[in-house]
Amino acid sequence: MFKTIVKKEILETIFSYRFPLFAVICLLLIPLGMYVNQANYAKRVRDYGEQVRLADKAASALSIQDIMAGTVAIKGFRPPAPLSVFTQGFESALPRYYEFTQEGFRPGESASDDESILSVQGKVDFVFLVQMVISLIALLFASDMISGEKESGTLRAMLANRLPRDTLLAGKTGGGFVALWIPFFLAFLMGAFVLMSSAFSLGGGATARVLIILAATSLFMLTYFTIGIAVSTSAAKARTSLVAILIIWAGFQLIIPKLADMTARIVHPIRTETEVSLQKSLLVSALDMEAAKELGRQYDFIFEGAPEGTADDEKSPERKKWEGLRDDIQLRARERKAQQLAVIDETYAQERRRQLSLAVNLSLISPSAAFARFISDVCGTGELERAKYLEAVRAHQKALDNDLFSKVKRTLMIHGGGRMSMGFSAMPVDPAKLPKFSITGATIAETFKANARSLLSLAFWLIAPFAYAYVRFIRYDVR
Amino acid sequence: MAQQQPILKADDLSKRYEDGVLALDHLNLNVRPGEVYCLLGANGAGKTTTINLFLNFIPPTTGTCFVNGIDVTRDPLEAKKYVAFVSENVMLYGNFTARQNLDFFAKLGGKASLTRDDYYQVMRRVSLQEKAFEQRVKNFSKGMRQKLGISIAVIKDAPGILLDEPTSGLDPKAAEEFLEILDELKKEGKAILMSTHDIFRAKEIGDRVGIMKEGRLVMERTREELQYEDLVKIYIDYMKSEPLTLS
Repeated sequence: MFKTIVKKEILETIFSYRFPLFAVICLLLIPLGMYVNQANYAKRVRDYGEQVRLADKAASALSIQDIMAGTVAIKGFRPPAPLSVFTQGFESALPRYYEFTQEGFRPGESASDDESILSVQGKVDFVFLVQMVISLIALLFASDMISGEKESGTLRAMLANRLPRDTLLAGKTGGGFVALWIPFFLAFLMGAFVLMSSAFSLGGGATARVLIILAATSLFMLTYFTIGIAVSTSAAKARTSLVAILIIWAGFQLIIPKLADMTARIVHPIRTETEVSLQKSLLVSALDMEAAKELGRQYDFIFEGAPEGTADDEKSPERKKWEGLRDDIQLRARERKAQQLAVIDETYAQERRRQLSLAVNLSLISPSAAFARFISDVCGTGELERAKYLEAVRAHQKALDNDLFSKVKRTLMIHGGGRMSMGFSAMPVDPAKLPKFSITGATIAETFKANARSLLSLAFWLIAPFAYAYVRFIRYDVR
Repeated sequence: MAQQQPILKADDLSKRYEDGVLALDHLNLNVRPGEVYCLLGANGAGKTTTINLFLNFIPPTTGTCFVNGIDVTRDPLEAKKYVAFVSENVMLYGNFTARQNLDFFAKLGGKASLTRDDYYQVMRRVSLQEKAFEQRVKNFSKGMRQKLGISIAVIKDAPGILLDEPTSGLDPKAAEEFLEILDELKKEGKAILMSTHDIFRAKEIGDRVGIMKEGRLVMERTREELQYEDLVKIYIDYMKSEPLTLS
């Protein structure tokens, strides 16, 4: 019985006018989207290679004077994510590089240099197509599966036989979904072929991630399909189903994610990055000034009345005392600065985390938001990548502080009467031995762990509508 | 000779819908093998409700439906093995051919190993044009659809057949052909319960005719009794009469 229903459902869907339309949409848009994104990725890889080459060249020519003067920043570039061909995510919003200085790191320009009209309308990548187009088609396909059969009378004809209702529902769901999935799968294969024929490398765990994308997308389609079935079992007429699914689709795709973000901004408002950056700059200036005054005071106190040239005489006891005090003041100032900057950073990070957490939790009511979040993390263009990028930046700053910046000391002093003086000291540094910036991407296990809530949301939307449809259909009035 | 057990039996069957309407009021009827029972009545008289109850599409409020001795409410799936159904507007899958529709419903009816020839044979038997066998059903006339509908019932080979106004909207020739097929099925020993508005054809084909009014079976006559009575007059009298009295 089940097989008979599945077969009939597949054939009926294939013979329907909607099927060729869907097949054309899939077979055209998915491979085309991948081709365009692959070309864009290849261009960004070339740009990245060139920028890294220039940055390396600049770093190798770096003189200690440049670092002492603070005129040259060391740059760490983020390589484009290969799987951004599936979804752009934060790819174009993330800084292309970070600059590292003695004062800390700061983001460079973002990768968004696309001047096409899509910058305004949204990129047509794989996830966009699945979220906006395929989900709607899945809903449309499923929306009249029960109500349509009731309206046409075929439901009565079927149930006049020894056919259990749960078998009928399972068969219709299975068959309808398979008919929907086949063109999608073929389009996905074509897309993969397009990628491979463009010398796109699927090595380094990318194959496993592509398979995860395929599986997650299939489940996402099934989710929307079962939601459509659930709607269909609740409506007496196909037209009612259609209206209901359009409302649901708009709610899941557009309203919930936007509303979640807006609600989070209202409930947990945060300062802008510029405000925080300004606060940090002011703090640094104030602390530097304080340290400079203290250094000037101590300098004046030690060398006051000493014979001329004592300050430059490395063997003089005053000079030794001064160096000890200077290092001590600078160390304390550095520690204080680091501590207070960390407090600002942590407070801001907490504010952001709280806002983000609320936005994410609310948006996960929508399976589309959950899907997009999961896939972008699988592709290395999501929230997880942003966190990993920042983690790598912090680690690199620390490494540079140890290997480079700590070896260059600038001593600003403000003496009595407001006179300022600057002293430099530096230890030799081999630029070739400076640490290279690199990002360790999230592993698949980390991705799954970080997306537990997204996966839970998807699982809920997969199971709950089917359970609802089952309960409704068992008592469905077939007349 | 002892009477055969009825294939279709309604035992004190009542149905009150959620809105309080009493659609069926203590109906008792039975249809034996080789018998055609015609249910006459105006719209809303309870004819279709009776058929829906036999198919377990709705549960009865009181009473029991039996198909081949099986309580339909208790074991609906088993009961449906023994009954075939043809509705007023035979609804089929328009994008499937006649044979594909027949194949699908035959499999649902438990006939899994039939060949293309078997299907053709059944379609020939119901006088469906040969050229229509592999044509998509969406272009079929109502008469052709009815023929295909009855071929689905034929291929199921169930002892009971439920027909819900099957000749409604058919032209006279198609209706006549339809009745010829019913007559053949009757001769094969099928128990046929047919709801209809068509008094003339009910008299022509029915071994027994029942008139329903407001959910009650107000009259029942055998073919023999109707030889001496004017069914049209009886029907009109009952439709006009009030209050209801059980005949």
